Amino acid sequence: MPHQCTNCGRGFEDGSQEMLSGCPNCGGNKFQFRPEGADNSPPTDTEPPEPPEPPGGNSTVAKTVGKTAATVRDIVGGTDEPSVGADQPETADSQIAAGPTDTEDAAQASARGEVVSPDELPDHTPEGDHQFEPAGADAAASESSADDTRDRPDLKELREELNNQFESVKVVAPGQYELNLMELYDREEYIVALEEDGRYSIQVPEPIQE
Amino acid sequence: MGLLTNLKDSISRAASTLFSEEDPKRIGIYGPPNAGKTTLANRIARDWTGDAVGPESHVPHETRRARRKENVEIERDGKKVTIDIVDTPGVTTKVDYTEFLEHDMEKDDAVRRSREATEGVAEAMHWLREDVDGVIYVLDSSTDPFTQVNTMLIGIIESQDLPVLILANKIDLEDSSVQRIRNAYPQHETIPLSALEGDNMDEVYDKIAEYFG
Repeated sequence: MPHQCTNCGRGFEDGSQEMLSGCPNCGGNKFQFRPEGADNSPPTDTEPPEPPEPPGGNSTVAKTVGKTAATVRDIVGGTDEPSVGADQPETADSQIAAGPTDTEDAAQASARGEVVSPDELPDHTPEGDHQFEPAGADAAASESSADDTRDRPDLKELREELNNQFESVKVVAPGQYELNLMELYDREEYIVALEEDGRYSIQVPEPIQE
Repeated sequence: MGLLTNLKDSISRAASTLFSEEDPKRIGIYGPPNAGKTTLANRIARDWTGDAVGPESHVPHETRRARRKENVEIERDGKKVTIDIVDTPGVTTKVDYTEFLEHDMEKDDAVRRSREATEGVAEAMHWLREDVDGVIYVLDSSTDPFTQVNTMLIGIIESQDLPVLILANKIDLEDSSVQRIRNAYPQHETIPLSALEGDNMDEVYDKIAEYFG
C-alpha cells in the first residue's frame, strides 16, 4: 500500500486513480507515500514532529507559515501552484511526488503517462483534466483552512498582542481577567473600560493629551 | 448656565482645597474583596455624617467603582479631624465571572460584574498611585492574611511612605484571629474591630485621628 490516507488510514496502490478525487472512505485528500517495505505503523508514528503542531493552535510556526502563505497568495494573486508549496511544505503530498520508485508497475506507468478518463472519476469530481488535480484540490482545501486559521486566531492574536502590550490586565476569556497589580499601579494611564474582543479604553495622562 | 455655575463652583472648590491649610486628607480604604471595606466606610460615614457610602453585600465585588465621602469630621478629645473617605473595590489578581454564578446571578450579569470589577481594581490601583494621602487596610481576620495581593499592596503603600492603619475586621466571627494578621505584618499596628457590629470603633477612630489627623 504505497499510499495511505492520513485521515482514515485506507491504503491505495501506487498509481491508483481512486485517490485522485479524494479518499472514497472519508473524503480526505491528504495521502502519505509509504514505499514497499516501510513499516506500517500509523502515520502519526512516522511523522511525530509535524502533526502535533496544528492542534496546538497557537504554534507560532503554524502562524508564520499561515501568514507567509497568505502573503504569497496575495502577491501571486491566487495562482494555485505556488500556494501548494507555500501552504503545505511538509505534507505527504510532496512525498508522493518525490517518492523514489525503482520499479514501475502498470498502474504507475499509467498514472505517470496517461490522462485519467472521465469515466474513472466519480461524478462529483470537477473536470478531471489533470492528473495532479487532487494536489490542486488539496491546495484549495488548505487555502480555505489557512483562511480559517487566519480568521479565527485573529481575535486570539489580537488579544495576545494586547496582553503583551498591556500586561496590566490579561483577558483570559470574556468575564475572566488576570490582573497585574504592579503594572496597573506603575502605569500613568489607567483603564477605565474594558470592551469586547479584549479592547481597553484608557485614561491618558494630561500631558499626553496635549 | 447651570453647567457654568457648576464648573465655577468646582473650580473654586478645587482652588480652596488646594490652598487651604487644613485640606481634608484623602484616606483610601483598601483590601481584598469581601474584607468589609464598604461596611467600614458606611459605619464611619454614618457615625459622623449620618449618610452611607454605598451598598454592602456578601457577594464579592459589590463595590466596583471607588466611592468617596467627603469632609467626614471625626472628633477626638475635643479635636476635629476632617478626612475624605474613599471606599475602593476589593483588590485581587483574578476576576472570574463564574464565581458570581454561585450567587444566583445570570451569566450576562456575572460577566458584566466581572468586567466592572476589573475596571474598578484598575481604578483603585491608580488612585493608590497618586490620589490618596493615607490608607486604611482592611483584612478579614477569619481568613489567611498572608496573600500575594496583601503583601504586594502593603509593599506599595510602604514604598509610597503613606501612613497605613491595618484593621483586623470581622472579629465577631468564630474563626477570627487578629494575631495571625499581627504576625503577617508585624511592622504595622493592627487594630481589631467588627465594622458590622460596631465593635471597637472607638479605638479605630482614635487611631484614624492619630494617623491621619
